[in-house]
Amino acid sequence: MITLIYAAIAIAFLILVIGLLRKPQTDEPDEALTEKSYAPSIGNGRWLHLSERIFDPSDARWLAEELSFPKLAKALMVERKRLAIRWLEALQASFEEVVRTPELTPSEAPEARPVGSWQMLWLTLRFKILVSYTLLVVKLFGPYHRLIPSFSWVPFPRGSERSFRRAALANSRSSH
Amino acid sequence: MGERGACGACPSPAGYMHIFGMVISYGAWLLEGLLILRGAATRVFRVFPLFYSYIVYIFCCSLGMYLIYWLRPQAYPSAYWIYYLVSILVEFTVLVEMSDQIFRPFPAIRNLGRALTIVISIALGLVYILPAILGSTHRRPALLDFALRACVTKVVILAVLFYAARHYGSKLGRNVAGLMFGFSIYLAMNIAWLAAGKAFDPALSSNILWVMAPLAFALCLLVWTVSLWELAPMPSLRPISTATGRDSEAVALELTRLDSELSKLLHR
Repeated sequence: MITLIYAAIAIAFLILVIGLLRKPQTDEPDEALTEKSYAPSIGNGRWLHLSERIFDPSDARWLAEELSFPKLAKALMVERKRLAIRWLEALQASFEEVVRTPELTPSEAPEARPVGSWQMLWLTLRFKILVSYTLLVVKLFGPYHRLIPSFSWVPFPRGSERSFRRAALANSRSSH
Repeated sequence: MGERGACGACPSPAGYMHIFGMVISYGAWLLEGLLILRGAATRVFRVFPLFYSYIVYIFCCSLGMYLIYWLRPQAYPSAYWIYYLVSILVEFTVLVEMSDQIFRPFPAIRNLGRALTIVISIALGLVYILPAILGSTHRRPALLDFALRACVTKVVILAVLFYAARHYGSKLGRNVAGLMFGFSIYLAMNIAWLAAGKAFDPALSSNILWVMAPLAFALCLLVWTVSLWELAPMPSLRPISTATGRDSEAVALELTRLDSELSKLLHR
């Protein structure tokens, strides 16, 4: 019985490989990516700071507590939740776009590996985990939930950002 | 790569089966030599250094094993098993080479393939391969089981690499696709004959293994030789939205920017 299972694994794997290699990849962008709206521009500060407004609970509180419009406050919260999910999905789509961007001049020699590849991979994985977690929390509890833990104990990002900026600055200086 | 199969220490079959197995083994050895010569002539070895070091290792070890087989046959079984077990581990370099090639154009996930290979190898090594060695009392079943489970682990890694390559839109060139296809044939055949070897009577399975093991590797080498005959450039990657390619520092800066933006949100 176990032999048959292993034989089935072997055959299924070969069929899968042949299927994947024969099926040409379409040149159209990924459907999952095109369905989601992209962030207008990653460099657009206003779009990024939109999150401040979306995730700020003061408007809903003001409606509910000061103006005593609980239904309106609830409607606002529902709308903000929808906006928050769209904002996070757009951020995710933009991130995917950055990740899938091929290098301008891919190095032919394998030894020409740029410094910090592991750090970049860590950043990518960290982002994917965090954004998935955030989306889950927002979908389940809404954008004003406080159960999102602080990740300040992760020491990496600030240091890596500094080192990347320093490297980019050094490169730009050397090119001038 | 076990050209003589896991039955190296077992009595080899007599007559035509023995000759057939030996002929395939010599054929595989010649293909290894051809692959090395061609790699040196076209300088493909510069692009695939890990893969060619593996082929050189296999070529030299096969030669050494033939010499032991003809000159000191009594030492052959022990030498064979050492070579066979080391080869199973060395085969992981082929996977590392493939994983490096698949994600090379993408600076943000350049090491993703290598990370996947290492993580899956360690995880399955601890929970799937190691118990096979520790739990068995006899040498032959233990070695067959170890080889089988190592092959299944490699199949899992290859499947994950295939999926990741498609997910990130990495177009495999002829060289890398050939490497992956050849290795897939080899692993699938190995799983089939190792599973059969475990189930059948040792005498019967020895006859099958004597031929099947070198045949699997010879087929794999044939695919590798054809696909690596000359250096094929990587196909151009599809343009994604406005992205037209950028250097790795720019990608790193954008990654950190998006990452810190999300972190700010989480700190609230």
